[in-house]
Amino acid sequence: MHLSDRVTGAVLVALGGLSAWGGSRLPAVPGQDVGPAVFPMLIGFGLVGCGLLIAFGIGHSFEEEEEGSAPGWLYGLRALLPPVLLLLYVLLVDRLGFLLTAAGLVLVMALAFGARPRLALPLAILAPVGLHLIFGKLLRVPLPDGLLAAPW
Amino acid sequence: MEGLIQGAALVAAPDVLLAIFAAAVYGLVIGSLPGLTATMATALLVPVTFYLSPIAAVATIITASAMAIFSGDIPGCLLRIPGTPASAAYTDESYAMTRKGQPELALGIGLWFSAIGGIVGTLALMVLAPSLAEVALSFSTFEYFWLAILGLMCATLVARSSPVKAIAAMLLGLLVSCIGMENPAGTPRFTFGSPDLLGGIEPIPALVGVFAVAQVMRAMLLPDPPPLERRRFGSILSGQWALTKRYPKPLVRGNLIGIIVGVLPGAGADMAAWISYATSKRFSKEPEKFGTGHPEGLVEAGAANNSALASSWVPALLFGIPGDTITAIAIGVLYMKGLNPGPTLFTENASSMYALYLIFILANIVMIPLGILLIRASTRVLHAPRAAVMPVILLLCAVGAYAVGNNLFAVVLVAAFGCLGFVMERNGYPVAALVLGIVMGTMVEQSFVTSLIKSDGDFLPFFERPISGLLAALTLTALLWPAGVWLWKRRHGRRLPAGRAAG
Amino acid sequence: MNAMSRRTLLGSGAALIATPLAAPALAQPRWPARPVQMICPWAAGGGTDAVVRMVATLLERELGQPFNVVNRTGGSGVVGHTALAQSAPDGYTLGIITSEICMLHWQGLTEVTYRNYTPLGLMNNDPPGIQVNASSPHQDVKSLAEAIKASRPGQLKASGTGQGGIWHLALAGWLNAMGLKADHVRWVPSNGAAPAMQDLAAGGLDFTTCSVPEARAMLDAGRARSLAVMAPERLSVFPNIPTLKESLGVDFTTGAWRVIVGPANLPAEVVRVVEPALGRIYQSKEYQDFLNSRGFGGMYADAAGTARHLEQADKSLGDAMKAAGLAKS
Repeated sequence: MHLSDRVTGAVLVALGGLSAWGGSRLPAVPGQDVGPAVFPMLIGFGLVGCGLLIAFGIGHSFEEEEEGSAPGWLYGLRALLPPVLLLLYVLLVDRLGFLLTAAGLVLVMALAFGARPRLALPLAILAPVGLHLIFGKLLRVPLPDGLLAAPW
Repeated sequence: MEGLIQGAALVAAPDVLLAIFAAAVYGLVIGSLPGLTATMATALLVPVTFYLSPIAAVATIITASAMAIFSGDIPGCLLRIPGTPASAAYTDESYAMTRKGQPELALGIGLWFSAIGGIVGTLALMVLAPSLAEVALSFSTFEYFWLAILGLMCATLVARSSPVKAIAAMLLGLLVSCIGMENPAGTPRFTFGSPDLLGGIEPIPALVGVFAVAQVMRAMLLPDPPPLERRRFGSILSGQWALTKRYPKPLVRGNLIGIIVGVLPGAGADMAAWISYATSKRFSKEPEKFGTGHPEGLVEAGAANNSALASSWVPALLFGIPGDTITAIAIGVLYMKGLNPGPTLFTENASSMYALYLIFILANIVMIPLGILLIRASTRVLHAPRAAVMPVILLLCAVGAYAVGNNLFAVVLVAAFGCLGFVMERNGYPVAALVLGIVMGTMVEQSFVTSLIKSDGDFLPFFERPISGLLAALTLTALLWPAGVWLWKRRHGRRLPAGRAAG
Repeated sequence: MNAMSRRTLLGSGAALIATPLAAPALAQPRWPARPVQMICPWAAGGGTDAVVRMVATLLERELGQPFNVVNRTGGSGVVGHTALAQSAPDGYTLGIITSEICMLHWQGLTEVTYRNYTPLGLMNNDPPGIQVNASSPHQDVKSLAEAIKASRPGQLKASGTGQGGIWHLALAGWLNAMGLKADHVRWVPSNGAAPAMQDLAAGGLDFTTCSVPEARAMLDAGRARSLAVMAPERLSVFPNIPTLKESLGVDFTTGAWRVIVGPANLPAEVVRVVEPALGRIYQSKEYQDFLNSRGFGGMYADAAGTARHLEQADKSLGDAMKAAGLAKS
């Protein structure tokens, strides 16, 4: 996901434009001269300005070159695994319950990091149980039971 | 004096001492878990305080918050996952020290100077509470506006990247803070019809996302880093004594900034850390070392952090005005226990007041031995296999974000901010500046818009009031200073030896 | 500590075993047979949280099952209010709703109204006060009212909460009742009552219309003065503050109230048990002491009375919002 400054600058210009436009369409508030539009518009213009400066490479001299080589495109998709797992967690946790969902999340992550089953399996059992003890029992956070209720 | 002795007797009760110890361990552990913050540690304690005596209840809140603020530095230092918006200011610095093989030193700085800051802050609270309260009460929205702008300017100072990109990241944070209806106009903005977005985006899920999840994402792509050298670090405290003697000025300045910024409701510990880290770099003799694992900024910011925490109790105790989310929770507990905030608390309830002070000091003293134990234990994480650490961190992010409001949407936010942080980091945009923007956004807009409403659209009152005039001058100087230096250097640069011109 | 160990969330199978064998009804266990969840749409540590936790503790003592408070925050109260309205009406999810439920739908921010709940009991009502800086020339509300009438529109500034919040409506309603336009006094939106009181003390505002308990610390500190309270009668905790009616002859009252409810279509059996329990709790010394210590205004209504109160509040708040131009038509 290493993009050139032109691309990120252009994205910022677009985002700034959108927020200024979106801000300007906000309704005025009766009885007030300064409405909700002012702040998003100011930020929007600021973002457009910064985006243009970045796209034209101003201030680039302050940056340090990033270490490490860029991985391949396909390999780069691996980075999306954590956020995808978090979304799956959100979708499944009410149905499957905290213990099962969390165990699945930990197991997949551990395997993705190259853990042997000898490490991954105990981890997938112990980590959810431990967190359930801390949060569910000690701190009274209502973690959903789902299919497998905690026995305590 | 009588009040002091009675206060000491109140604190010496076994249930209070037990509560302090238990809350200390609790605060240290919760704060040190990546993805869990001091605010969360305090919020989750509230139900427990129902079953405690008034002094013990307040003691748990004070102790747990002070501990969690310190231990929030631990995941930041070891894994580059800051525990609080405050520690986001110097996470990169302490992580750089870890990579240089000095994790114990970096954490020791956090511990030692946090404890000093906490104790100095408490002494300030004891001696100066009434006059500090005057300072807080003289701040109207005009003053807050300038203060917020000063805070935002720190974004360019603390990051080791292009200043333009730092400002862009900060503006992005401000844009994020626009989401929701918690704005002066009470109008839903950029919510796209989602009720979850109505309340806006809290700094905590954003912080957890851009630092913790993004860090896990980066780890997915990188091969296992070479294991850190296994060597026994000497005494944690002796190194700190040397640093104390070496950096007396940053220490004093950090304490002062912490006390003054902390006493202003709404600014609090977060801003104190940012401003003090930035001033430390600004006035340092070796600013080029900042960001490479240099202890100077950590000394100042660590001290500011905890002294702000103590002084943020001044407006809370005297006027019932919360300085930050932690004191907001604490005020609720105070009311619940019949210790109603107000000046009467100081006169009619003097023994309870002294008890509070003593708890503050006790908490900061207890922090040192417990903190050392925790540092020794937690640095083992660096030797644990990455395949075991990262999955647990990700799970903690999910549970921690959920636990604050029992709302699964926070977990979605964490995932989204993880992606954003990952992309930003890859392209040289400092994520700490984004967090600063999100944290400060509401205050900037609120103070700007309400000031304009109060002045009927006139800009003159922004400069008229004495303190706001002073802050305005300070802000404009800081803003124009680099440009002035640049111009001066351009004109005189050739006549100066190269080395001097760079300074 | 004791309550924490009792809090164990048992699966339904385990619950059957755990239920004392002496329990008579086998087919239909008496409600509550297991722990009850109480949803609070606001964050832990705030005023609403304090009320619901107090009520939950006392309900637990009355009914012998744990009542666990769960803070479902977010969306300016929309998230928690909606979650409560949409929970299963089996009696095992109850909760607290606040005045905002009769405001959010007028602004078009949610579809949920008070009709989506089964009212069980009104537990507290905080009327707004009118506070000025201690150095203000106005010694009574009459003098302030005359100053308001004499002022240019928008010249005087008041605050207390965000734009369109309950205290903004209190101002709008009061001005209306005096025959002025709702925006005759400019509203300065603030992030809650505490910053507004601070700004009042810093000299940035002419007056605030937040509730008296919210202003209490500043009043005690001698930084502010409360001139009147918009309530039918004086508050027991603040007997020196006159009502708007007795000092100005303007009969306008409103307030921020808190009501214990369940989702709509709650079984009659549950209502039969909870309603009198809430009544006993309101009368209890603990609850009265709690209200007094925090300065909260006491007000109780049974289920039917609460339903009437909700209907009335929804209408009057809606009218105030329309007058102030805040309602989405």
